[in-house]
Amino acid sequence: MDKPPATLHDNRLLLKLLLLACVMFVFAWGLIPVYDALCRLTGLGSLQRPDTVGSQRLAATPLAPVLLTFDATVQPGLPWQVRPLTRTLHAVPGEFVRVDYEITNASNRQVIGQAIPRYLPAAAAEYVKKLDCFCFAQQAFAPGETRRFPVVFVVDKNVPAGLDSITLAYTVFDVPGRS
Amino acid sequence: MTAIDSALQPAHDTAHGHHAKPSGITRWLFATNHKDIGSLYLWFAFSMFIFGGVLALCIRAELFRPGLQFWQPELFNQFTTLHGLIMVFGAIMPAFTGLANWMLPLMIGAPDMAFARMNNWSFWLLPPAALLLLISFAVPGGAAAAGWTLYAPLSTQMGMGMDLTIFAIHIMGVSSIMGSINIIVTILNLRAPGMTMMKMPMFAWASLITAYLIIAVMPVLAGVVTMVLTDRHFGTHFFNAAGGGDPVLYQHIFWFFGHPEVYIMALPAFGIVSHIIPTFSRKPLFGYTSMVYATSSIAILSFMVWAHHMFTTGMPATAQLFFMYATMLIAVPTGVKVFNWIGTMWQGSMSFETPMLFAIGFICLFTVGGLSGVTLSIAAIDIQLQDTYYVVAHFHYVLVAGALFSLFAAVYYWFPKMTGRMYSEFWGKFHFWWSLLWFNVTFFPMHFLGLAGMPRRIPDYNMQFTDFNTMASVGAFCFGLGQLIFFANMLHSLRHGRPAAAKPWEGADTLEWQIATPAPYHSFVEAPDLEVGENGRIDAMHGGKHH
Repeated sequence: MDKPPATLHDNRLLLKLLLLACVMFVFAWGLIPVYDALCRLTGLGSLQRPDTVGSQRLAATPLAPVLLTFDATVQPGLPWQVRPLTRTLHAVPGEFVRVDYEITNASNRQVIGQAIPRYLPAAAAEYVKKLDCFCFAQQAFAPGETRRFPVVFVVDKNVPAGLDSITLAYTVFDVPGRS
Repeated sequence: MTAIDSALQPAHDTAHGHHAKPSGITRWLFATNHKDIGSLYLWFAFSMFIFGGVLALCIRAELFRPGLQFWQPELFNQFTTLHGLIMVFGAIMPAFTGLANWMLPLMIGAPDMAFARMNNWSFWLLPPAALLLLISFAVPGGAAAAGWTLYAPLSTQMGMGMDLTIFAIHIMGVSSIMGSINIIVTILNLRAPGMTMMKMPMFAWASLITAYLIIAVMPVLAGVVTMVLTDRHFGTHFFNAAGGGDPVLYQHIFWFFGHPEVYIMALPAFGIVSHIIPTFSRKPLFGYTSMVYATSSIAILSFMVWAHHMFTTGMPATAQLFFMYATMLIAVPTGVKVFNWIGTMWQGSMSFETPMLFAIGFICLFTVGGLSGVTLSIAAIDIQLQDTYYVVAHFHYVLVAGALFSLFAAVYYWFPKMTGRMYSEFWGKFHFWWSLLWFNVTFFPMHFLGLAGMPRRIPDYNMQFTDFNTMASVGAFCFGLGQLIFFANMLHSLRHGRPAAAKPWEGADTLEWQIATPAPYHSFVEAPDLEVGENGRIDAMHGGKHH
C-alpha cells in the first residue's frame, strides 16, 4: 500500500471544493450585471443617454460664455470619416446649442457604427446635458453613405467658474458582427 | 501495531512489487509519490525561472541604452508580457506547490497527498501550458504583448498568440486548482493524531490559506480570459464600448483575481520564513496564534482592495478613499508578521547558515517592498506613479526579494532532507550575498526612475534616465549569473555533497526532522502518534512507519 485510498470523507471535501471553484467561475460572469447595475445606480457611464433639463439648469440672466471645442477620432483600420461641422463656439450656460457632425462610411459594405462621447476635462461631463445625440443609438450606414447628425445640448448654469473650456470628443467604432 | 503485524510486514512487502521505487521515465510520467511530484514541480519551476529570467535579460539588454538596440517594440512587448506570465504562473506558483507537495505530508504526518493520481495530473498539465506560451513566439503576430494583465481592448485585438496564452492560462488554472484541492484535503483530513489545527506548522497554515485563495480566484481569471476569447472570436462585446461593453469591466474582474494572486505568491513565503527564523534563532516562533490570524486576515482583506490597481480609471473619490484605506489596512497584519519574526530573533542564539541569510534578506527587502506598497496605496500619489518604474521596483521587491528569496531559503533548508546530502555552505552564502547585492543594484534605481516619470513596458526612454537604466541592466545580468552558481551548487551537491544527518539544523523541531535523511520514499505509511507544540514542534513521536 502506498497510502490508504481516498476515503468518503476526502471525496466529499473534494466535491465541495470543486463546487467552490465552479461557483467562483460563475461569479466572474455574475460581475457583469452587477457592474452594469452599479454604473446605472451611480450614474457612471451615463453619457450615452438623453439628459432631462429642468428650469434649475437654465439661466434667467446671461452668464459668462464657455469655450466649447468639438473633436472626433477614428481608430486605425475602421471605415469611418467623422468631422464636426463646427470646430469651436462660445456657448452661454443655460442656453440650448446645436452643432452638426458629418459621418461617412468610407467602405463599400454596410456597417453599423456607435459613437462614444468623451469630455475633457472629464469633470465637465456632468455639466453638459445632451438632449439629442447620435451617440444614443447605433447607426446603420449603406456603402459610401454620408449623413449629418445634430447634437443638441445645454451647458448647465451651475458650471463652476473655473471650467471655461470644454472639449467634446467622439470616437466612432463599428459594431462587429452586426453589419 | 501488534507483533504479528510486524512479523508479516516484510513478506507483505515483497509480495507487492510497487513498494520498490519505480525506475526510468515511467517513475516520473506516472508519478503518484508526493516526493517525486514535488521534485518534478521544483525542476519545472526552476526551468521556467531560467526561461523567464532570459526574457528579463532581453528586456534589460534593450534598456541598457536609450534608443532601439536589439528588438523591435512589438517583440519587446512580448518579452515583458511573457516574462510576467511565466514567472507568476510557471515559476513562483509551481515552486510553492512543489514545496507543499514535498514537505506537507512530512510535516503533518500524512502518508502522501490525498489524491495521488490527481496530483500527477496537476503537474503534467503544466508542461503543455508552458509549451503553448513558448510556441506563441513563433505564430504570426508573435506572443501576447498586452502585458501580463492582458488588458482589454489590447488583448481583444491581438493575433493568435493571445489565443494560445488564453488556453495556457486555462490549463495552468485547472492545474493549480487541482493542486490546491489536494493541499486542502491533505491538511484537513490527513493530519496525524495530535497534529491539531492550532498546533500545525505555519507552512501548512500558509499553504492551506493560499490553496483556498487559488480556488477562489483562479476560476475568476479563467472567466475573464474566456470573455476575452468570446469577444475575439464569437461576436460578444463584454469589453467593446461600441457594442455596449466596457473595457474597465475587464480591469475590475482581472484585479479581483489579481490582488489575491499577489498573496498567493506571498503567503507561502511567510510560512517558510516562519520555520527558518525560529530554527536558526533556536527559539520558538514568537506569537504563533497571531501569525495564524494575521495570515487569515491578509487573505480576507485581499478580496477588498482590487481597485487600488485602477485609481486612474476615473472612479469616484469615495471609491478611491475606500480602496486606499482598505489597502493600508493590509499593512497591519503584515506588520504583525514582521514584528513576530523580529521578536523570534530577539535574544535568540542565532547562527547564519544560508537558509537563515535568505530568510533575513527576505524580511529586510520584503519590508522595503511593503513600504513602497503603502506609498502606492495613497490614491493621490498612485495617480502620479501609475505604470511607472516605481511600480516595477515595488513588485520586484516583494516578488524577487520576497517570494524568490523565500524559495531559495526553503530549498537550502530542506535540501538535506530531500536529497540526504548537504549543499556547499560556502557557495550557498556566496549565492546569497551575490544575489542580495545585484538585486538591489537592479531594482533600487527603479524607484528613482519611477519617481522621475519613466513609464514601464516601453523599449526606449529619454536620455535623462540613462544612468539608472544602465545600472539596472548591469545588476540584472550579474544577478542572473549568480543563479547559475545556485544551479551548479545544487547539481554538484546532489551527487557529491557530504551525507547529511537526520537533523542537520540544531534548532529544527518540526516533524520532517524526526525521520531519516533522506526522507524514506514512503514515509508515515502508518500515522505516528504525536505530542505537538505550537508551529508543529514535535515534543514526542510514537509509532509511525516508513519504507
